[in-house]
Amino acid sequence: MTRAVLAAALLAVVTAVLADDFLLRFLAEILLLGIAVMSLDLLIGFGGLVSLGHAALFGGAAYAAAIAARAWGGDVLLMLGAGIATGTLLAAAMGVVILRSGQLFLLILTLLTGQMVWEVAFHWRDVTGGADGLRGLPALSFGPWALPGAQPLFLLAVLLAILAWLVARSYVAAPIGRALVGTREQPIRMSALGYSLFAVRFRALLLAGAIAGAAGALYPFVNLYVGPQSVHWTQSAAMVIMLVIGGIGSLWGGFLGAAVYLGIQTYLSAWTDRWQLCVGLVFVLTVLLLPNGIAGGMRRWRGGAE
Amino acid sequence: MPDLLGYAAVQTLNALSFSALLLLNGLGLSVVLSLMNFVNLTHGAFFLLGSYVGIFWLGSGAPWWLAFPAAFLASGLVGAVLERFPFRQFYAQPHLMQVLLTYGLSLIFADLMRWGFGAQILTPELPETLQGVVFILDMPFPIFRLFLIGAGVALGLALWLLLDRTVWGAVLRAAVSDRGIVETLGIDTRRVLTLVLVLSAGLGGLSGALGAGMLAAYPGLDEEVLLLALVTVVVGGLGSFGGTVAGALVVGFALTFSKVWFPEFANLAAFAVLVLLLMLRPSGLVAPPLRRI
Amino acid sequence: MRITRRLALAGLPAVALPRAALAQPRPLRIGMITSLSGPFTALGESMRAGMRLLLVQSGERFADRPVELIVEDDQARPDDGVRKARKLIEQDRVDLLCGVIHSGVALALRDVVTEAQKPTFILGSANDLARKAASPYVLRPTKTNWMLGSSAARRAYETQSGARVVTAASDYAAGREYVGDFVTTYQGLGGRIGRQFWTPLGTADFGPLLTAIAAERPDSVYVFFAGSDAVRFLRQWKEYRLAGRIRLTGTGACFDQEDVLPAVGDAPLGAINTFHQSPTAPASAAFVEAYRATGKPLPGEFSTTGYVCGQVLRAAVERSNGDPTGNWAQTRQALFDAPIDTAFGSMPFDPRNGQAILDIHVNEVNAGAPGQPLVNTVVHTYPQLRDPGPNA
Repeated sequence: MTRAVLAAALLAVVTAVLADDFLLRFLAEILLLGIAVMSLDLLIGFGGLVSLGHAALFGGAAYAAAIAARAWGGDVLLMLGAGIATGTLLAAAMGVVILRSGQLFLLILTLLTGQMVWEVAFHWRDVTGGADGLRGLPALSFGPWALPGAQPLFLLAVLLAILAWLVARSYVAAPIGRALVGTREQPIRMSALGYSLFAVRFRALLLAGAIAGAAGALYPFVNLYVGPQSVHWTQSAAMVIMLVIGGIGSLWGGFLGAAVYLGIQTYLSAWTDRWQLCVGLVFVLTVLLLPNGIAGGMRRWRGGAE
Repeated sequence: MPDLLGYAAVQTLNALSFSALLLLNGLGLSVVLSLMNFVNLTHGAFFLLGSYVGIFWLGSGAPWWLAFPAAFLASGLVGAVLERFPFRQFYAQPHLMQVLLTYGLSLIFADLMRWGFGAQILTPELPETLQGVVFILDMPFPIFRLFLIGAGVALGLALWLLLDRTVWGAVLRAAVSDRGIVETLGIDTRRVLTLVLVLSAGLGGLSGALGAGMLAAYPGLDEEVLLLALVTVVVGGLGSFGGTVAGALVVGFALTFSKVWFPEFANLAAFAVLVLLLMLRPSGLVAPPLRRI
Repeated sequence: MRITRRLALAGLPAVALPRAALAQPRPLRIGMITSLSGPFTALGESMRAGMRLLLVQSGERFADRPVELIVEDDQARPDDGVRKARKLIEQDRVDLLCGVIHSGVALALRDVVTEAQKPTFILGSANDLARKAASPYVLRPTKTNWMLGSSAARRAYETQSGARVVTAASDYAAGREYVGDFVTTYQGLGGRIGRQFWTPLGTADFGPLLTAIAAERPDSVYVFFAGSDAVRFLRQWKEYRLAGRIRLTGTGACFDQEDVLPAVGDAPLGAINTFHQSPTAPASAAFVEAYRATGKPLPGEFSTTGYVCGQVLRAAVERSNGDPTGNWAQTRQALFDAPIDTAFGSMPFDPRNGQAILDIHVNEVNAGAPGQPLVNTVVHTYPQLRDPGPNA
């Protein structure tokens, strides 16, 4: 595992030196969205809680960071603090509302609460800029050092991705993470064993909110812009698509899914107006042929080869 | 004073007509959900297909009332094909996989329809009979909306009678609760399930043709309509028949009167009401009897 | 044998290329960002069609330099629009950028193109881009929201000064700007404003709003809705028998010739709107004919805007002798020096903010040919309106 992390870090540095500005920002966007998708995987893949409101946590944190940056400058620690706090708080609020329900009820409640966040972002013009969003953000900085341009952003995104992955990985390996899987598989037995389903799920949601919030905090700096689309339910749905394509329950599949989705969207759309058809086809084929996504497919293929 | 009364009456009728549309739209979704425990997110696509078929039919000069059966047949046919593959393989799968499969399919259909019908906004040419207006205490109310309310009530009743009061409905309900026994009676349950899906898809198309008069048809409508249907069915309590009716009324009135009372915060207010309802009644307004053992 | 033949074939263009390259200057690459999916799909397709038409008419060459157009889809989402813009700038190496419908995308692009120093011709109409978000790298060959809102107020006051006007609009940035400018101007002239109604973007049922307007009994309503909202509003406007009882005025987008009018029957017959585009405006006659010759309906705002954008791009290339980007400040100045002849009429630019100064037409929605949709017919023109600009 240490080797994998080191290899990833080395690869990141090489990429940062070689790639152009567009590619670095694009990769940073993939990584940040990938982190958010990974946190969604905690809920869907491990907790069985299908959320259509995850973009509200991610985008809400993005707004908080953007607003804080405009007021106090773009210090990375401030951004991350604002983002994580907002993501966690929104997750807590959402948890109180949704966690007594299951299945489709949960889906609809996450959709409704997420859209309420969107309504606020869309209509509170004085603070969020309304439909036009917020622009004119300062560049990122760390203490006295300014971090302008795409390279620091990309490296920060890599660092955050590695950290978030380590946190998520240790969480699902810890007893509390195993308990989360338990609440998905055998809720009745789990409560008979003395676990509070609500508490276990609530903590998972808080953690997912914090991770999504950390990623969301850096997201405005990809484009130096944040707008209501990043909170909208369609963004949540896109995250679910990314997760499915990448592989539910694998954590790192989220990054793959984000890369495939954004890759299709960015590179195919110049060639054909039918790119949404392609996203749909890839998605359906994944569900039909690789129910565990690309990550699951790769694992199976490797398992077969060994 | 009559002014205020007329205003209240017409706003109530507005809410009722919107509820009727939600009911029509939600029924198809709730039928497969309650009877087959299958979540079908391509329902919005069936609706939009029905809208397009209805619009082209009404523009063609053929007898106008045939537009609705035509839309029913067109969407039902697509439903029949989809039922063969890939829906059938997913009946036994968990909801999550069904949601993913059908959502992916709805993306494909959305783009195919945009390809075939174009991106322009299309609207039906309603027949003269439906274009009129009635005045209620001096406030205007369109006849088309009365027609919608009527259609909602009629279709709802017909469906209820079909499922609850006929042998066919009994076979269907039996096939859902114990497939093996029904098979031993010599009934092909596969065909029964296919028929339910065709019925549901057809209802989607039919409501699309009816709804086009109010909503028009354009790429993206499928998604908007799907969300409304999902919210309706879920708030009602997942697929019991009475639940869908209750859900349609609650959502219709919430969305209408939030616009009347808090126009600037209409959606926020309506969503808050629905969220509160679902918090107070976590299994919806009318919870169906538990089928799980 | 087969290999040699293939090699020979493959070698052909390689041999032919240098000679051709000597004769031809490097093609000018133009990147267009528009909405080919999402809520503005139809508008985006029209914009692309307008631009394509101009390219075909110019023989795919501006000032003898071949032109390549790369169109990218922004889905009406700022984050996607910005990503596509960066891709066009850095990977496709376009010389000029143009397009954009959604004002959020336009505002988000503003900083990116300014930082990259990439000349950009933006077709979204947010007021801010002519004001505090103006940029030396952004030109805008289309209207600002202010031009339409304030001219509608002037027209309303000049024709019906005592009328009590209520407003109804979609509750988002554009609606707020149109209605805000309308109300400020109308009240400034001494007119009376009644209630202001707002509805969410993407309203399915306008019944509640229309019933409220009917109960209010105003003399006139000023509206802004776009796309499917406009279609639903206008159709239901007729269904609730408000047509003919209350005067309907609005922004041009609510009565767009290509996007809205074909779908609403005769519902808005007699309505008044202010717009920089009209199929009956004399300046656009040649364009209207050419556009219809391609099998399209009467053009609306965005097909005309796409075409006009092409005309302005062509002028930029011509006035810089084929190299608009070599010295952008000079090219920009050349565009400011003399008006450009476009399908919107003679178009001078305001040197303070790169904003076009436009004729704004008052259109009356009249009956078209039998069996054809209604037609926006010019009844009055406010010549050469200039946005208040940075001082506003």
